[in-house]
Parts: sequence; C-alpha cells; structure tokens
Amino acid sequence: MNSSFINMEFLIDTFFVALSGVPIALLVTVVALAIALPIGFFLALTRINEIPILNGFTKVYVSFVRGTPIIIQIFVLYSILPLVLASIFERYNIDFPIYEVNTLWYAFIIFSFNTAAILVEVFRSALKTVNAGQLEAAYSVGLTTAQAYRRIIIPQMLVSAMPNLCTATINLIKATSLGYAISLQEITLKAKVAANVGYNYLEAYIDIFIVYLILCITVEYLFKVFEKRLSRYKAVATA
Amino acid sequence: MEKYFDINYLWTALPQLVPFLWITLFVAALSVIFGTLLGLIIAVFKLSKNRFLQLLANSYITIMRCTPSIVLLFLVYYGIPAFADSFFGIYLQDVHTGVFVVITFSLQFAAMMAEVIRSAYLAIDKGQYEAAVSVGLTPFQAYRRIIFPQAVVVALPNFGNGLISVLQEGALAYTIGFIDIVGKANLIIANNYNTHALEIYIALAVFYWVLSVVIAKIFELLEKAFSKGQRSLKTS
Repeated sequence: MNSSFINMEFLIDTFFVALSGVPIALLVTVVALAIALPIGFFLALTRINEIPILNGFTKVYVSFVRGTPIIIQIFVLYSILPLVLASIFERYNIDFPIYEVNTLWYAFIIFSFNTAAILVEVFRSALKTVNAGQLEAAYSVGLTTAQAYRRIIIPQMLVSAMPNLCTATINLIKATSLGYAISLQEITLKAKVAANVGYNYLEAYIDIFIVYLILCITVEYLFKVFEKRLSRYKAVATA
Repeated sequence: MEKYFDINYLWTALPQLVPFLWITLFVAALSVIFGTLLGLIIAVFKLSKNRFLQLLANSYITIMRCTPSIVLLFLVYYGIPAFADSFFGIYLQDVHTGVFVVITFSLQFAAMMAEVIRSAYLAIDKGQYEAAVSVGLTPFQAYRRIIFPQAVVVALPNFGNGLISVLQEGALAYTIGFIDIVGKANLIIANNYNTHALEIYIALAVFYWVLSVVIAKIFELLEKAFSKGQRSLKTS
C-alpha cells in the first residue's frame, strides 16, 4: 500500500479547520429558518385559503424555487440583489456601500428565499392533515382565529410537519456548502482553502464529509427527540 | 454608459446552451438508470431479515442523505482515482469527468430510490402475493405480474421527485470541470469578461424551471394513466 494515499497529519489538522466553519453554517441555517418559517407559514395559509393574487404569486414562487437548482438561485440572486439594491439606494439618495456588504447578509437572504418556498409546501400538506372541524369547533367554543390557530391548529399541524421540517433543515445545512459561490466562510470553503496549499483535496473533502455527517446526524437526533415530545398532541390529531 | 442588464445577452445565450442541455439530460438519465439498479439492491438489503444487510443499507442511506452533493462529487472525483492508484496501481486520472459525475449522482439517486422502492413494496398488500400464488403463479410470476405493476404506480410520484432532484443536483457537475449546461454558461460568461453574468444565469434558471415543470407534469399524467383501474377507497 502506498503511504501517500492519505496524509494523516493534514487530515487531522484540517478536520479542525472544517469544524471552525460549523458556527457560520449553523448561523446561516438558523437565521434562514427563523426568517423562512413565518413567511412559509403565512404563504401556506394564502394557498390554503386561496387568497387571490397572493395565491398565484406563491404558486409561481414555489414552482420556481422547486424547479431550479439552488446553485442557480444563488447565482441569480447574488448578481441581481446588488443591482436592485443599488438602484433603489440611488433613487432615494441613500449613501450606502452596497458592494461592501458582508457576504453573510446575502447568504441569509438567499437561503431564506429558498427555504421559505420549501416550507410553504411542508406547511400546506401539514395543514391539510388537520381536520376542518377542528377550526369550526374552536370557533364554536368562542376562540378567535388567532387563538384557534395558536392553540388548536398549529400544535396538531406541527406533529405531521415535523418529519418534513427535519428534511428541510438537513437540506438547508447541506445547501450552505454552496456558500463557496458567494465566498461564505463556511465548512466547505475553509477546508478547501486549507487544501489549496498542498493539493490535499481528498483529505479536505474527507474532513468536510465527516463534519457534515456529524452535523446532520445530530440535527436528525434532535428532531427525533422534539418529535417525541410533540407527539403528545398526536392523540388529538388522529382522533 | 453600458447597461447593467441587457436582455440581448439572454437571447444569444439560449441557442448556445441548447446543445449542452442534452449532456445534462444524458448524465441525469444514466444516473437514474444506474441509481435505480443500485437502489433496488439496497432496498432488497433493507427488506431482508439479515441484521447486517439491514445495517449496511441503513448506514448507506443515512450517509448519502447527510452528504452535500458537492462534497460527494469531490470525494468521488479525488477519491476514486487516488484509491485505485494506491491500492491497485490503476491509473484513472485520464478518465472523463463525466464518469465521475455519473458515479456520484448514481450513488445519491440510489439512496433516494432505495426508500422509494421499499415503501412502494411495503404498500402492496401481502394478500396480493398470496392470492397470486394460490391461483398457481410461480413466485417470480407473482412478483412480475402482480406485485411489480402495482408497486410501480405507488412509486411513481416519488420517482418523479427523485428525477427532478437528480437533474438539479447535476447542476453542480461544473465544479469538477464537466461541461454541461452550467459549465457552458460559465464559459460564455468568461468569454464576456465576466460581465452580464445575470442574463446567462437567468437563461439557465429558465431551462431548469421548464424542465422541472415538464417532468412533473409528465409524471402527473403517467400516474393518472396507470391508476386507471385502481379502486382504492376515496378518502375525503
């Protein structure tokens, strides 16, 4: 066996380099989810209630995001956002250095844009599993719409949404690996840059692979725990 | 002053990109074929009673689900030649990048298909097989004529989703220097001295969008056609 197959020392050193990108990857994931969850839920409601204009808009938006690769969405948004923002700022004479914005902000916008559309479908199918009678019953005992959603519909909906939410989160974490296209300092880019010095790409990618594996298995486990806690609502949901 | 956004670039890019669309589709088709075959094997492993085979299948599916396509792509691209070179002394550096692309997305598609095939198989009532055997079909005939046609209908929507997803993940093949539609688009942009990238990217987005919508529509129609004879209980 050729000992040069894997450079062990580099493999171990770079593992920690890759690990140092985890906070950024998680930050982008958490912020994108925090922005996308309410938007996704609101747009899902417009689809369910067939609110004119918004319903059509949501349909096209979801179709676009699901119909194009994330990398292409990153390319398009990353080139279009500065143009649009610059022209807006120019019109209102706002002196804002648009081309010096931290790339992290673009990452937030791009991944929220993507995830919100995915969540629309997740929430839509989850909302459909809740019996219409639940809302009517909530009204009949005197709850307002907001109360009915908060206390009756959403807890039940979350139970059936959980597995898909988990998949969406995992996919989002995986998608942050494409942050290299906007020079986001996350796991993949950091390890790749470390590998550039000595062409140790294989080792770098093995490290990246292990980091994502740990990350995703942890997230999956957390979701499972949370799902178990939520399932106390399940008896109500299926009744 | 030059315009930031010039729609003409979009129109001139479209015909240049079309020939490379076939490469993208070809790679996706090969990945689907190999991926389905491998997925079938993994599904059989997962359904088997052997604990070790189950563990193998489950680990494979988990690993594939947790690995970003781009990481898998580079692992295959750097890993397979290095592995073959140092363990077997086979020189694979000259192999066409397309081969690595197909290997990567076959591996990925297989994990998706394993779950699709498994759930489709489990969705078919066991009584169907028993009934088929009881009227004198051999087990193979029972699978081929009774189980398989029904399982295909169940698997169809998920298969369509998997197909669209493998097509989209394939957009990353350009990162290892494969010239498919995205690779060509990047070449066009480089020829324009990195200007007017947006127009070209929009052209790309349009291609993928149309493809995905068409594939989704085809599978919707197929599903409708195949489930003609179905008499399952209508819920709701």
